[in-house]
Amino acid sequence: MEEKTRDDLLKLFQGRFNRAVRFYLETCTRCGVCVEACHVYVSMGQAKYISASRHELVRRLYKKYFKARGKLWPSLGEAKELNESSLTELYDAAYSCTGCRRCMAYCPFGIDTQMVMSIAKFILIGASMEPEILTMLADMSIEKGKSFELFKEGFLQGIRNLEAEVVKKWQTEAGAAAIPVGVQDADLLYVALAGAHSIVPAAAVFNAAKENWTLSFFEAVNFGAFMGDPTRTTLIMNRIVEEAKRLRVREVCICECGTAFRVMKQMAESLPFKVSSITEAHARYIRGGRVKLDRSKFTGLMTYHDPCQLARNGGVIDEPRYILGHLADNFVEMSPDPRMNWCCGGGGGLVALGEETLDFRMKSSRVKADQIRETGAATLVTACENCHTQLSNINDHYKLGVNVKFLSSMVADALVGD
Amino acid sequence: METLYYLVLIPMAYIAFAVFVLGTAARLVKIFREPAATVKLQIFPEKRPKWLWAVYDTFLFPTVLRHKPLLWAFLMLFHISFMLLIIGHLELIRGFAVFQIVPHEVFLGKGFIGLILSICLLYFLFRRFSSPVRELSVPEDYYLLVLLFLTVFFGSEMDWARRWYYYDTISVDNYREYLFSLLTLKPELPYEITSSGHSFMLVLHIFFANLFLIFFPFSQAMHSFLSLPMNKIRRG
Repeated sequence: MEEKTRDDLLKLFQGRFNRAVRFYLETCTRCGVCVEACHVYVSMGQAKYISASRHELVRRLYKKYFKARGKLWPSLGEAKELNESSLTELYDAAYSCTGCRRCMAYCPFGIDTQMVMSIAKFILIGASMEPEILTMLADMSIEKGKSFELFKEGFLQGIRNLEAEVVKKWQTEAGAAAIPVGVQDADLLYVALAGAHSIVPAAAVFNAAKENWTLSFFEAVNFGAFMGDPTRTTLIMNRIVEEAKRLRVREVCICECGTAFRVMKQMAESLPFKVSSITEAHARYIRGGRVKLDRSKFTGLMTYHDPCQLARNGGVIDEPRYILGHLADNFVEMSPDPRMNWCCGGGGGLVALGEETLDFRMKSSRVKADQIRETGAATLVTACENCHTQLSNINDHYKLGVNVKFLSSMVADALVGD
Repeated sequence: METLYYLVLIPMAYIAFAVFVLGTAARLVKIFREPAATVKLQIFPEKRPKWLWAVYDTFLFPTVLRHKPLLWAFLMLFHISFMLLIIGHLELIRGFAVFQIVPHEVFLGKGFIGLILSICLLYFLFRRFSSPVRELSVPEDYYLLVLLFLTVFFGSEMDWARRWYYYDTISVDNYREYLFSLLTLKPELPYEITSSGHSFMLVLHIFFANLFLIFFPFSQAMHSFLSLPMNKIRRG
């Protein structure tokens, strides 16, 4: 590797320093408490997948270039040079980590492997070694934000087609738009994913709850976060923030997308509106008697997969259980402690990479498949797009024979009219 | 030999202490001057008051208890003994009434603190020889444990000799004379300190302790200071 390239990459590394990163890079004692934390390690048994091994790769570069020890006595901490081989190792570590942060619940210090891996991902972007498809998708999202007038007509036409579907399935108030778009001073801005499944059922519930809502022009998913690129992450998020400010909404409600929710909830600084997940909104409607559900609609044993970004990393834990309490008599917990729930194995951009990662995703989620099988449930409910895709893949691969469903769709399907 | 004893017991001790204090301070300043992360890094469910739970996490290691109970037992024993050991050493400088709330003879713990620490350190060391912790370990992990073990072992031997075998040619007063002179910057080496049959133990103990202090600010031993703020981040 050329000197200049290395210096540039190290500058990227240094640019990511903050207090927490310093803590994480200085403190690991390699005690091994985190060994059983990572689903990839537990499923595949290779030591490189232990979370401490993952962040140690970044730490070795840190010791080499940002601590005097790296020059005086590099072998002490196995400080490592930044070169092609270390970049390959970083890729392996970063793109096999789903960012579920289960290891954070193991580490006695609370080292956040996801954050350290996002540094690895950032260095990989600098070296043009990141998965190109993620860059492309992220840049497309950013571009759409810049020139959304160009996309507007096509988008509105798509929505009009979906409206028919909403009306066909669920009655709406006469004269009211089934899917309102661009409503100034609406109470709630709903940010969906591209795809009818994310819009139609949500619209039905909002309308049933008589919510003064409007649909965002932008899709929620944040490919910048998958890439570990803070600039792209912020640009993508800001499209929605700007739209919410422009419409002067009081609440931004994120669809069933764990990453989008966490980015908006935990990464944005002081927003003039409340951020909620659609799961929280639905629980609120049920609690307030604004929607009623038919609990006879779904039968059979049900279980719920806590999406990592929503539960452990976002705090939405009680709400899905509250909703399921109104949907099913027959519910079984998947993990005795939601904080310890296994990741589905599809986060961190792995599902977005599609077929390319399928083999790895299936091998690394053996432990998840076992966990699902042990519940004996016939229906597996979740509230995250990524998890849903991954769990469906697991279902096929491991022949679990469960019915994988979105929680929001179930709420919509069980709506009882006035 | 006398020169060597002198070098270890006085100049090296001063250097080690200076590196420890200044090095630790400099590293902490460097770390804490970094801007705080803009992202909220907490994990859920949340419990309040957050700071109290962070203190709980820092001092009682609940995650270790949950996932590795045996390691937890050794870690608790180790850290508690280490704190008692610090108190024991303070009492080797001079008596403190506050520590005598529980009346005891100096050095605290009848020799057992050193024994517990030695056993814990051997446990920490040997568990690194077996997979998968072996794959995680780097040389400094071993050096640090070996260094601590040697420090504790030679220190304890003097204690054991006095307490269990009544070989007290170096008395508590001799230690106090030596350490107090170091502290008041009028270093002196009492005759008993350098000429007793156990002086070599003292010199080796101080030598390894000096190395440990010098290494401390640059090693993961810094977790002693960083664990609390890190746990606070996790608690939100």
